[in-house]
Amino acid sequence: MAELPVIQRNRSLKGQNRIRLLGLAYVVMFCIIGAQLVRLTVLKPEEGEANRIAREVERIPRPDIVDRNGVVLATDISVASLFSDPRKIIDMEEAVELISTTLPDVNAADLRKKLSAPGRAFVWIKRQVSPEERDAVYNLGIPGVGYVNERKRVYPQGRLAAHTVGYVDVDTKGIAGIEKYLDNEGAIYTASLAEPSRPISAPAQLAMDVQVQHVLVDELSKAIVKFKAIAGGAILMDIRTGEVIALASLPDFDPNAESKNFGQHQQNQMLSGVYELGSVIKAVTFAMAFDYGTVTMTSRYDARFPLVIGNARISDFHAQRRVLTVPEIFTNSSNIGTAKMALDVGIEQHQEFLQRVGLLDRLLTEVPETAKPLLPKRWGRLVSATASFGHGFAVQPLQGLSVVTGILNDGNMVPPTFMRRSKEEADVLGKRIIKFSASKNMQELFRLNATNGTASKADVPGYRVGGKTGTAEKVVNGRYSKDKRLASFIGAFPMEEPHYAILVMLDEPKATPETYGFATSGWNAVPTAANIIARIAPLLDVAPVLTDSDKAKLEKSRKAKKG
Amino acid sequence: MLKLANFTLVIATLGTASTLYNLEHTTRAHERSIAKATAALVDNAEAIKLLNAEWSSLTRPERIQQLAKQHLGMKQIEPDQIITTAELPQRLEAMSIISKPNGKPATIDDILKKMQ
Repeated sequence: MAELPVIQRNRSLKGQNRIRLLGLAYVVMFCIIGAQLVRLTVLKPEEGEANRIAREVERIPRPDIVDRNGVVLATDISVASLFSDPRKIIDMEEAVELISTTLPDVNAADLRKKLSAPGRAFVWIKRQVSPEERDAVYNLGIPGVGYVNERKRVYPQGRLAAHTVGYVDVDTKGIAGIEKYLDNEGAIYTASLAEPSRPISAPAQLAMDVQVQHVLVDELSKAIVKFKAIAGGAILMDIRTGEVIALASLPDFDPNAESKNFGQHQQNQMLSGVYELGSVIKAVTFAMAFDYGTVTMTSRYDARFPLVIGNARISDFHAQRRVLTVPEIFTNSSNIGTAKMALDVGIEQHQEFLQRVGLLDRLLTEVPETAKPLLPKRWGRLVSATASFGHGFAVQPLQGLSVVTGILNDGNMVPPTFMRRSKEEADVLGKRIIKFSASKNMQELFRLNATNGTASKADVPGYRVGGKTGTAEKVVNGRYSKDKRLASFIGAFPMEEPHYAILVMLDEPKATPETYGFATSGWNAVPTAANIIARIAPLLDVAPVLTDSDKAKLEKSRKAKKG
Repeated sequence: MLKLANFTLVIATLGTASTLYNLEHTTRAHERSIAKATAALVDNAEAIKLLNAEWSSLTRPERIQQLAKQHLGMKQIEPDQIITTAELPQRLEAMSIISKPNGKPATIDDILKKMQ
């Protein structure tokens, strides 16, 4: 008996050890479970592989396009599209009846046919419906009918900026204009607009001002009607930054329309068309002559007789038949004088100069549809002489204007852009094309031509306009046509320190009684430009400076309107 | 001793369980409100985009011009209507109707008389 307690003690000792072991195991297990619970709930979970991939796939949304003042030109909105799973529809007749009465433009017979096609699990009822229509159909409560949200690109300003902004296809891929740029060449710019952590994107800001754009379109369409032109275009550029503030090309198109089947003239003629701008090109020749120093403002040229080169004769439209000074050659738009100036500079130098201002190469901007200039293949004396006044020399209108901005901007050419650009950025990009003094001479000539030259109708009182006209005969079947013309005007204002450059072009304007039977630029493109400048100058913060003659002119026109 | 250990462990288990339950419950509530707020945010962002587009469409210069012509009878501004502040005529001394010529403050009666 005496040994019993020992055994018992041993036993209980053994048992106690086991229990202790068990307890320890319990504690360990609890600790593990507790730790695991804390890890899973309190601490941040690691990012799962699937999660990470999903985030990468989530694509950057297409940025909105806004004008320089933030007016929305293109944006994505979410629209509902109604679909149906015909297998889930219980009463086909009732469903068709209800839907076709709720959506009047859905044909009941068509819908019935679509829904009763065997084996279909997904049928579109109507794509891109309004929120009201969506709610109306959804509230019908038909089983098997639902909607999905789709993105749709809309252009709230409609036709206004259609050529610059461009448009996208059904899958919101850019097809034309800035929309295409955002997808292709400008992809890096587009990516830079996106916010790194969230699926939103800052808008792409254009240089365009919709107010100015509207004035251009409005006045141009009036001019096209008035002069029965077949097409027309106008561009306004900031000379100092190279920004294209407005670009109109008529006829235009509606980017919101489903189908965009273009007519011949509906493309962007200011970029994708090349035109012989005619005498406007004389400005380039003058700038060249001043830059090479072969002429001064007081030089004289004999314009009494037509210039004969080989068997070709160059004569003047406004023939003066006398010796002309350089400013007179400009204001009378003398072909003879200009050709002689070009020949004095030299054929090689002429080509070198055109190369320097970029007229031999395609002008590249953000808007992708651009055309290469058409120039004579072989240069001789005759070609150099005719090219000096724009014959056989076709360029995109924007390129022509861009060169003139360089000539007038103290000789500093800033490449044109459709995107917003600051003065600082422009200063870096600027390229010297002519001497400062040559530019000053050109500014003087432009102003002179508007006060008493071919562009006198452009002299809007108060805004110191300067400019050069051009009337080119159009090439029809390889020959210059006598009655089909292209009238153009390139101008700038305010001329003492040029800030804005404008180009107006009318394709085949006709003579009207009001123009006394003339169909040259001075009678149609120039007054159109004047109307535009009078309306946009206050929008562009150009302060008017009125001389006494300007005041008299205003008074007279006011009386004429009243009478 | 053992009982005490057992007891504390049971209590601890119950305690952690209920805390975790509460924690999960509130977490779920928070998650729900986050989801709701995110959805509302998306909806509102969408609505803002739509309204911006509508605003842009309604303020089309072409439309405004037409409305202004129709309802306001406004005309195009002429250059001589724009002047600088320096060109403004010197402002005249305010002709006060509040005080009489002799400097005493006017009564309402005086003002009414003057207005007639």
